[in-house]
Amino acid sequence: MKQLTLYVDKQSFVHAVDPITKLFYVAFAILTSMLVPTAYAGVICALLSLSLLCLAKVIKNASPVFLFIGFVLFTVVVIQGLFGVNNQTEAFRLSGLIFYREGLITGAKIILRVVNIVSAFLILTLTTKASDLVEDLVRAGLSPRIGYVITSVFQIIPQMISSADIIMDAQRSRGMETEGGLMVRMKAFIPLIGPVVLDSFMSTKERAMALEARAFSAPNKKTFLRERPAYTYAAKLRGAFVVLTLAALIWRLAA
Amino acid sequence: MKKILVEHLKYRYPQAAELALNDISFEAEEGEKIGVIGRNGAGKSTLCQALTGLVPHFYKGAYGGRVIVDGTEVLSSSISEIVLKVGIVFQNPFTQVTGAKETVYDEVAFGLENLGLPRGEISSRVDAALELLRIYRFKDQAPFSLSGGQTQRMAIAGIIAMRPRIIVLDEPTSQLDPQGSEEVYQALDDLSDQGLTIVLTEHKIEKIAQYCDKILVLQDGRSVAFDTPARLFSAEDSDAWGIRPPVYTSVCRKLLRPPTGVYPVTLSEAGEALANWEAST
Ligand SMILES: Nc1ncnc2c1ncn2[C@@H]1O[C@H](COP(=O)(O)OP(=O)(O)OP(=O)(O)O)[C@@H](O)[C@H]1O
Ligand SMILES: [Mg+2]
Repeated sequence: MKQLTLYVDKQSFVHAVDPITKLFYVAFAILTSMLVPTAYAGVICALLSLSLLCLAKVIKNASPVFLFIGFVLFTVVVIQGLFGVNNQTEAFRLSGLIFYREGLITGAKIILRVVNIVSAFLILTLTTKASDLVEDLVRAGLSPRIGYVITSVFQIIPQMISSADIIMDAQRSRGMETEGGLMVRMKAFIPLIGPVVLDSFMSTKERAMALEARAFSAPNKKTFLRERPAYTYAAKLRGAFVVLTLAALIWRLAA
Repeated sequence: MKKILVEHLKYRYPQAAELALNDISFEAEEGEKIGVIGRNGAGKSTLCQALTGLVPHFYKGAYGGRVIVDGTEVLSSSISEIVLKVGIVFQNPFTQVTGAKETVYDEVAFGLENLGLPRGEISSRVDAALELLRIYRFKDQAPFSLSGGQTQRMAIAGIIAMRPRIIVLDEPTSQLDPQGSEEVYQALDDLSDQGLTIVLTEHKIEKIAQYCDKILVLQDGRSVAFDTPARLFSAEDSDAWGIRPPVYTSVCRKLLRPPTGVYPVTLSEAGEALANWEAST
């Protein structure tokens, strides 16, 4: 069964950090890079996140994401460099096109910001099981209902994809063309929507009933069967991230 | 005390024109096994849901009469109170997989976590349920990796583990091969030996005739008969209910005229009756 997850199962000190502390890190890295008025903060945060990705041995898994956003960001820089609203100072010419300093700087800032956000989130998603994150959040007080919806989506979407595969197979065996050009595929896809959507709509109701039968809405406090090992430095790290983020905020307000 | 008492139960789904259940009455003693049969759409699943309070608490709609399970009136209790007394296993095993757990073991433990039981208690109950349904060896597998029959047994285990005093199973063997259904029925036998009251719907007539103490026949939402399998399938008008009697009964009807008017319903009973008949001719 395919799993809808980016989690990479490796051993590293980043993997060992508990999910909520990683959430604190994500908030710290993103807020600090945006709050601190000098660009250096952004550079430092981005370098920190990237080196954490390397140390967690997941940089390879992160590279397709960076490749994709790299492509998008490249076009942003080009457009800003050429047509940015504040463009005044010519930076260089390339086959007749004039690139401006102001636009390029704006583009660079956007790059920095996006790289910061993406790499911070990648640390979380590549080194944390979604179910662990949700379970810790539920333990910390998130409603079990919301927690259930999030975790089950990760399992049920692959389930829907495989039921689409089964229906597709059935249609192929009845002689329907499902391989070939875009049009052929589109045409094959449309009759799929009905059964798959109807199927999942019906089953949602049954699922909800089955949850009730398992005492999901019992008013008592739930047990967590799996003990989650407490992470030794959780409190210290979280505290540090909060203090640093507050420092960034004060810097911003003072500047 | 009656374990299950259903009196003049009527129910109509919201926006439906017809009653799905129309004046149903029956009762069950502790440890009894009650079979519910009837054609597609007769109301079997709806009745199962009414026994656990899903009708009318989950599905609203028009409701009348009384359902009392283990001394508790369903209408005036919440679903989470009722599921402590009555467990229900649904027709489709796949929609009963919570989708929130990574292993079969954790999946079976889900209901117990919700009940807030201590961890030690949870593990011993889960182990016992997995053993009983013979799926212990799959305990570390992903729930969605199981076959239909294994999934069905996992669903039953998840309910059994909650230790209800009554268990309702809606076509528990629809996904199972003959061997698998045999195993499920064996597990249910163990449970009924422990005093559990069992209600189940089933399309395999031979199976239900052999297994159940009493059978309730539904037709278009009405209960048309409630009796022991032998008396029920011996009745002259049983064909009019839209169900066919077990093949053993049909064969004996062609050949025998028992003085009691009660025909055999299981293979062993039929064998015995036919041997006696052969000896007497
Ligand atoms: N959610 C619903 N909303 C409205 N009507 C429903 C709903 N579920 C079932 N019904 C109707 O209620 C009647 C009884 O359905 P039910 O599912 O109880 O039959 P069943 O005996 O279990 O059939 P099967 O053998 O197919 O499982 C049917 O006429 C059906 O169309
Ligand atoms: Mg049904």
